[in-house]
Amino acid sequence: MTTRLRALWHDLVPRDERRGRRAALRLSASSTARSAEAIFLVLRRMRTPLIALIVVFAVSTLGLTLIPGQDADGNPARMSFFDAFYVISYTATTIGFGEIPNPFTYGQRLWVTFSIYLSVIGWAYAIGSLLALLRDRAFRAALARQHFTRKVARLREPFVLIAGYGRTGELLGRSIDRLGRRFVVVDLASERIEDLELDSYTADVPGLTGDARDPGNLAVAGLDHPSCAAVVALTDDEEANLAVVMAAALLRPDLPVIARVTSPVIAERMRAFGDPSTVNPLDRFGDHLRLALRAPAAYQLLTWLEAGPGADLPDRGSPPRNGHWVVVGYGRLGRELTRDLRAEGLAVTVIDPGADDPDAAADSDLVVGDGSDPAVLGDVDLEHAVGFLASTDNDTTNLSLVAAARRINPELFVGARQNSAANAPLFTAMELDALLVPAEVIAHEVYAQLSTPLLWRFLRHLPSEDDGWAAEVLGRLVGLCGTRLQTLWKVRLTPQEAPAVQGWLATGGARLGDLLRNPEDRDVALHAVPLLVLRGDEATAAPGEDFVLAPGDELLLAGWSAAERALTTMLEVEAVHEYVLTGRRVPASWIWRKLTPADRG
Amino acid sequence: MNLEKVVFGFFVVLAATLNFGFFIGDISRPELHNQYELYAAVVVNLIATVLKFGDRTQIGAVHLATSLVADLQLIGAASMWVYAEHISSAGLTAGWTASIVSLAGGALVANMVSVVLLVVETTSSHRG
Repeated sequence: MTTRLRALWHDLVPRDERRGRRAALRLSASSTARSAEAIFLVLRRMRTPLIALIVVFAVSTLGLTLIPGQDADGNPARMSFFDAFYVISYTATTIGFGEIPNPFTYGQRLWVTFSIYLSVIGWAYAIGSLLALLRDRAFRAALARQHFTRKVARLREPFVLIAGYGRTGELLGRSIDRLGRRFVVVDLASERIEDLELDSYTADVPGLTGDARDPGNLAVAGLDHPSCAAVVALTDDEEANLAVVMAAALLRPDLPVIARVTSPVIAERMRAFGDPSTVNPLDRFGDHLRLALRAPAAYQLLTWLEAGPGADLPDRGSPPRNGHWVVVGYGRLGRELTRDLRAEGLAVTVIDPGADDPDAAADSDLVVGDGSDPAVLGDVDLEHAVGFLASTDNDTTNLSLVAAARRINPELFVGARQNSAANAPLFTAMELDALLVPAEVIAHEVYAQLSTPLLWRFLRHLPSEDDGWAAEVLGRLVGLCGTRLQTLWKVRLTPQEAPAVQGWLATGGARLGDLLRNPEDRDVALHAVPLLVLRGDEATAAPGEDFVLAPGDELLLAGWSAAERALTTMLEVEAVHEYVLTGRRVPASWIWRKLTPADRG
Repeated sequence: MNLEKVVFGFFVVLAATLNFGFFIGDISRPELHNQYELYAAVVVNLIATVLKFGDRTQIGAVHLATSLVADLQLIGAASMWVYAEHISSAGLTAGWTASIVSLAGGALVANMVSVVLLVVETTSSHRG
């Protein structure tokens, strides 16, 4: 019987899924057990105080029944257990109803005096222990964990699990929140989790103080939750990010994973686990710089779309295409930039204080020296250079380098790396031509990947187009929607999501331009620009007005949120669509539709 | 030897023996059942219950359950005694005594289970 069942199970559930599920079950069981710790902790710590209290009551009550008393007539009478318990109860709790049922004898009073002091000590001990327990760190942590577990378990909408809530996590969280989506945070530092409550998010964000390397913590944070939509590892510890990627790949192979990584070795190790998407801010900045060199408009469009809803149109920088560049700092970023610049056919001189690196020593254009030393800057012929990049990992050095370089040659194109968020106002005041903020690069990149897969596709497609194309798309966007990015949304032309247009799509003459019209006045274009059409696996970027749509197409649009609503109505209500297409007002209700032909006839 | 185990075993066994002592004797004769013994049984049972708090093992959970059952029955018996003596007009009759002692008998069964668990736990644990 069992074997037959097992065979059935094997047939029904693929192997990978089964393994993931079993592991997830085990994890969640162990984490519930840990969450229940709070109540066990209370019970165990309260053992001694409770026993002390019971003993105090028992001794006091027993004593009162044993001590001889007398009734109103002076006959000897002992108190019954109930009377004694009653007297001790109200005496111990300091209520004090007096001497009942009969006035006490001196022996009884002596005993009650003793009991009063004994019971006060007993209560003080019990209540003191309870209060100490409530203020106990371990207990509070256990309680917070339990609270967090409950909050996560109650989530019914898709959410993103973010491990590491530093500057990057915060930026990403804000973008996700603005999209109207939920996320859960795990971070090592309790201050950051406390900051969550102060941050003004529209939705409640559950946060757990704990090590993301512990799969149990990830499970509590919803790794095995059916609504978990993606896992993002953003801690500043490469190993921890690797651990998160591993846990997610092994326990939930179906989930998309995005990890921050700066070292190629770790990135390679991550790739051994499924196919997580890695974001390397230094690498990415180099790519961006190349794109900016080759196609400034494409770069402008990329940064604008990546910045998310509400972002203003960034300025179009124009890095000099020809001439000599100077890069200070030959660390990971410096190396990346130098390689990218050289790949674009530019001459690059590098300044770095450390020449012991064999890789650096092999570089013919390397000047050894401290970049902040005026003499060294004088050596590299800055007067005739066109570009200058300060890429050391020290903000003060970078700022002073930029200032010194500008003094020598005010015409320079200047770029710098900003390491700490606290220095942002200084870098803004310097009015740099290019600024690398690793936290922002990662946050934007992850946002682009998470918001809609179509946007990610569009952004990846961008570098392959030429600058004129990008300038044209940008012009259309600005012309229709203004210089502030409003919303990006996705439309699926499936029978479920767009029932009103299925017949029109099937005719084979469904022009995109005919769809994007204002349902109030069809002569006015809808304030939306189609960025991408996905048909099956084939994507068309920025389709024109004459693009012919087919059933099942997926559209990515950018524009006003009013346009999003209008388009949704158009796709769902046949009458609205009919008007947009032909200019004829068709009655929407059944009764009127029945009546209209009669009127005409 | 572990002092905690000694205290635990002591209270569990004492709860059972006191309970047994109160229970034994003709069920309807009040003079065979000492009220002090019932009182002691209630107190010792309460202490034994608190000692079982916070044990997360399966056997610990059953331990706690049996103690709670015994508490419930013994407190029921004590309440009946109070009712019979102070509220009922007839006083502590043979009928009341029988009810009280039978409740205590029920508690005795629970206490016996507790003792059996204790013995099982002891014999199944490795010496060391």
